[in-house]
Amino acid sequence: MHKLKPRAHFTLFLIFGFLLFLAGNRVDELRVYQGASIAVFVIAISSLILLTGYSGQVSLGHGALMAIGAYSATLARNEFQIPIILTFFVAVLATAVGGALLGAAAARLSGPYLAGTTLALAIGLPSLANQFSILGGEQGLIFDVGFPPLGLGEDFTQYKWFFWIAALAALISTWLLSNILSSRYGRNWRAGRSNEAAAQICGINTGRSKILAFTISAGIAGLAGALLSMTIGTVSPSAFPLALSFALLTGAVLSGVSTLSGVMIGAVVLVAIPEIADVVAHRIGSSENITTNLPGFIVSALLIVTVLFVPNGPVEQHRARAAKKAAKKRL
Amino acid sequence: MQLLNTILIGITAGSIYSLMAIAFVLVWRSTRVINFAQAGMALLSTYFGYEAVTRIGSFWLALPIAMLGGAIFSALVEVILMRVLVKHSSSGPIAAVAPIIATLGLLGLIRSVIAMIWGGQDLRIPPPVSNNGFTVNGEVLVFSPLKLLILITTFILMVLLTILFQRTNLGLSLRASAYAPEIARLSGIRVDLIRTLGWALAGAAGAVAGVFQTVNGNGNFSPDSIEFSLLLVSGFIAAVIGGLDSLLGAVIGGLFLGVVISFVLIYLSGGLFFIAPFVVLLLVLFIRPQGIIGEKVGRRA
Repeated sequence: MHKLKPRAHFTLFLIFGFLLFLAGNRVDELRVYQGASIAVFVIAISSLILLTGYSGQVSLGHGALMAIGAYSATLARNEFQIPIILTFFVAVLATAVGGALLGAAAARLSGPYLAGTTLALAIGLPSLANQFSILGGEQGLIFDVGFPPLGLGEDFTQYKWFFWIAALAALISTWLLSNILSSRYGRNWRAGRSNEAAAQICGINTGRSKILAFTISAGIAGLAGALLSMTIGTVSPSAFPLALSFALLTGAVLSGVSTLSGVMIGAVVLVAIPEIADVVAHRIGSSENITTNLPGFIVSALLIVTVLFVPNGPVEQHRARAAKKAAKKRL
Repeated sequence: MQLLNTILIGITAGSIYSLMAIAFVLVWRSTRVINFAQAGMALLSTYFGYEAVTRIGSFWLALPIAMLGGAIFSALVEVILMRVLVKHSSSGPIAAVAPIIATLGLLGLIRSVIAMIWGGQDLRIPPPVSNNGFTVNGEVLVFSPLKLLILITTFILMVLLTILFQRTNLGLSLRASAYAPEIARLSGIRVDLIRTLGWALAGAAGAVAGVFQTVNGNGNFSPDSIEFSLLLVSGFIAAVIGGLDSLLGAVIGGLFLGVVISFVLIYLSGGLFFIAPFVVLLLVLFIRPQGIIGEKVGRRA
């Protein structure tokens, strides 16, 4: 990834986008919907990879940040009737501001303290929706991006429209992120993560760099939140449970937190798990209790196994093994 | 009268947070890990307690059974999961966050296994004594025999724990392994075993916290009950207030947090129930990051 010139980068993304476009026309509605979910997860997981893998800060509260994005987009849409594309910018901005505030607190914390603080946020924030009537309480608000433009043809379905929006957003945000991560800022983050004192000696303001990481990560999480509520059609506290934050963390760890290139793995796995669980449950003919809880079980088990045995993620693991082989050959 | 009510409710809830904070501190001292699965272990122990209550019928027999179950499970987690974790991921970019992620995974795992075995519906542990408030001068307090009982039991357990830590050889080994594992090992203490014991004690403390949190509420609990998420966050915050390394600090932190939350709920708004702990935590981390009893060193974990 790092060796590619920015222009080659951009071309690759264009090709990938075109392939997605072709794929979107070939498969049925359910797959298109799942494609949209994957795109949302790609965005959310990449924001967490930036924060945890590059800047070394762990967040258990990205579900709550997604909620901020979703609510701000919905409010902007419902109260001010602004065009749909602008609502996503509103989501990014509002969540980035929230992230900057949180980041200012987070920059002073490390490891378990930060984890506990963001955990408290993830549990506390969604409940605020019941405090203010404008947020619609437990039922939440309706978030409607409208029908696809007529110019796209009559058989262009709503789900396909979701998929287009989400996939385009995912491509743009991934392209932006991969550029940021290989820029000066990305290097600063990695330096601060590996050795804070050394980074400071090199003239990096590690505190400011951490806050910046939190701000950008939050902004992207906000975008993912707005897109998530777009695919669901509503925004409510129950759409952003603690389990969502944990799922994102699982996705990030599965993808390998130290590189962006595996981000598809985590996103696809997260979307595929419920379906796999369904198949497994049918195969063993289990009771209802097991069927409903199998997805959660698989997510948690995967998380533990990955942390124990492939802590740097499959991509990095593969790279390390390849490098070892190459080194042996040279000898 | 409302003031007295507020304080008494706060202290009762706070004593439960203290137990949870003690569990966090015990684990932190023995392995330098914040065990976010503590709430899951407490929940599992509560299910043990529920099974015991429905079979035996006695709350006072069920509580020790829940404690024993929690202790054994917690010790197993240390032996099976934590030792492997230390061995495999002690380096690399996510070494610092690997234990956090692993305990979170464990939390999810415990929850889903519980839901598979017992189902997702509400179960109930009936309170051993009445939860109707005492009557003083014709006025009904919120403070009830049940709350008094919770307070007394918690107090007795804390006294026992203090005796264990301050007056016995085992307690000395526990303290020595926490502060200087290498030197403790030199003087013949089996540090690994002592670590497991620390986890077991934490499991027992968490079990009591879980059972009491359940009966102090409406007696109902389920794998997804928000009570346990709250217990997790409150216990963690109480431990942080106390400085994360001190058992006494954990107790004070828990009581402090309980009273503060109680004041917020009664005098401000009941809807702030979940966000109040977060705000308290932020304030503590900004104003006194080393905790009430903590030494003045940076918070580098």
